Amino acid sequence: MHEELLTESNVPLRTSPAGSATASRLRKMNRQFGPPAAAFVLFIGGWEVVCRLLGTKPYLLPKPSDIVLAATENAANLWVSVYTTIVEAVLGIILSIILGVGFAILLASSKFIERSVYPYAIIMQTIPIVAIAPIIVIWFGAGMNAIVIIAFLIGFFPMLSNTLIGLDSTEHNMKNLFYLYNASPMQTMFRLRIPAALPYIVAGLKISCTLAVIGAIVGEYIAGIGGGKGGLGYAITVAASRLQTPYLFACGLSASLLGIAFFLLVNAFSKWMLSSWHESEMKSSEG
Amino acid sequence: MLTLKGDDAMTAVTEAKEWVRMERLSKVYPNGTTAVKEVDLSIREGEFLCFVGPSGCGKSTIFKMITGLSNPTGGKLTVMGTTANEARKRSDTAFVFQDHTLLPWSSVIDNVMLPLALRGVSRKERQQEAERVLAMVGLQDHMRSMPRELSGGMKMRASIARALVAKPKLLLMDEPFGALDEITRQTLQLELLSLWRQDPEMTILFVTHNVFEAVFLSTRIAVMTPRPGKIDDVIDVPVPFPRDETFRSTPEFGRIVHSVSMTLKH
Repeated sequence: MHEELLTESNVPLRTSPAGSATASRLRKMNRQFGPPAAAFVLFIGGWEVVCRLLGTKPYLLPKPSDIVLAATENAANLWVSVYTTIVEAVLGIILSIILGVGFAILLASSKFIERSVYPYAIIMQTIPIVAIAPIIVIWFGAGMNAIVIIAFLIGFFPMLSNTLIGLDSTEHNMKNLFYLYNASPMQTMFRLRIPAALPYIVAGLKISCTLAVIGAIVGEYIAGIGGGKGGLGYAITVAASRLQTPYLFACGLSASLLGIAFFLLVNAFSKWMLSSWHESEMKSSEG
Repeated sequence: MLTLKGDDAMTAVTEAKEWVRMERLSKVYPNGTTAVKEVDLSIREGEFLCFVGPSGCGKSTIFKMITGLSNPTGGKLTVMGTTANEARKRSDTAFVFQDHTLLPWSSVIDNVMLPLALRGVSRKERQQEAERVLAMVGLQDHMRSMPRELSGGMKMRASIARALVAKPKLLLMDEPFGALDEITRQTLQLELLSLWRQDPEMTILFVTHNVFEAVFLSTRIAVMTPRPGKIDDVIDVPVPFPRDETFRSTPEFGRIVHSVSMTLKH
């Protein structure tokens, strides 16, 4: 639903009168979102009923109603945790965009640099983040800084590799054209290669943005409280140690919702940026 | 034998400058394939010269050498009195490919302004020049459109406008109408001739595998045959301009098409 609305607000309607368009859109939405919604209701309802019938203890398996109750009772705390994690993840994403795209441009400008540095970027990527995280805590101290850096590290590589692939896959004819018109390497980079790489950059961003949320939470596990109050990862460790299982579930769900929200935002951004020219974001009815 | 852009062009012809000169020009690729073998040809100012031949006859290789995209391995090539690379750097040459190569993220006018933007021409002047050439190709009402909103023929017009924006003396076209339908192709041929006639200095080198297209457009046709790629014959098209659709059905047209085809087959 979210996606549909975004598309509509960004791409002007060109076909058919508004009335019938709305009706057909409603029907389409029904077909698209009806089945998953039904499955959701069935699953949650079944969960609630089974728990009630078996009388399971809430600290082992809370009922959906327990989770909602725990979330509303602790809404203030939960919001602080969510907010903290958002800040950390966003800062991490911004860093990975700037440095990922920046390094990719550097590597793409020189085959020599690319050949000598890129293998190490891949090796760095294969080291598990939980192995690096303690070192980062040692270097930058427990807290916000370390968490942001962990979130950045986890989102960095998809940005770097996607941008690099994008910069290196400029159409041959286009490169010839720029060469024939005596474009400098800088002009070719900024007027041709970077715009042509945008679809790849956005694809990398779609991966990085959800990874950064995971990175922030992993960071909080290891580095503890970030920015005065704890984020979701910290709340999860505390709730687990106190056997507040319903709240633990609420935190986990919030984290996943956060990931989805980030993804939808990037998706909307991608539509806004590419819909006028790139296949991947064009409406199939056009073109 | 030379160019007759119009009835009064004869005086200009006698002292026309030599724009491109090939002397025993050869290209052997590293894998040993001889793409072009010992080609001699002289192209003068104001000509419309077509290279015609089947695929693999080296016509695109010659084109690449004139643009400086590829270096000759033998012989000598002079473009506008200097080397191909120098001529390209002086921006007297422009290019149109079979693929329209418009930047999909830029509007039509931004695409047309590109060659000037790359040379650092001021925005105002760029805009002015782009509007001028877009009007010449009949795209003045589509300046703000994105390339994907245009038809194949309109994309090619935009691509031609981009080539003309810097007022080139030498326009190199590599099978520009190859991907278009026959009707659009014929319309664009007429339009191209009229653009060429507007500027008495402009020389067009046109690569095609379509004999009819070559005869309709050119003042001379270099007929090329493959393995190894060489110019078999250079055939004059002594038909005055302006030419229009009726030219296609004249006996003269048929006779030249026949003679080009015979050269190609033999």
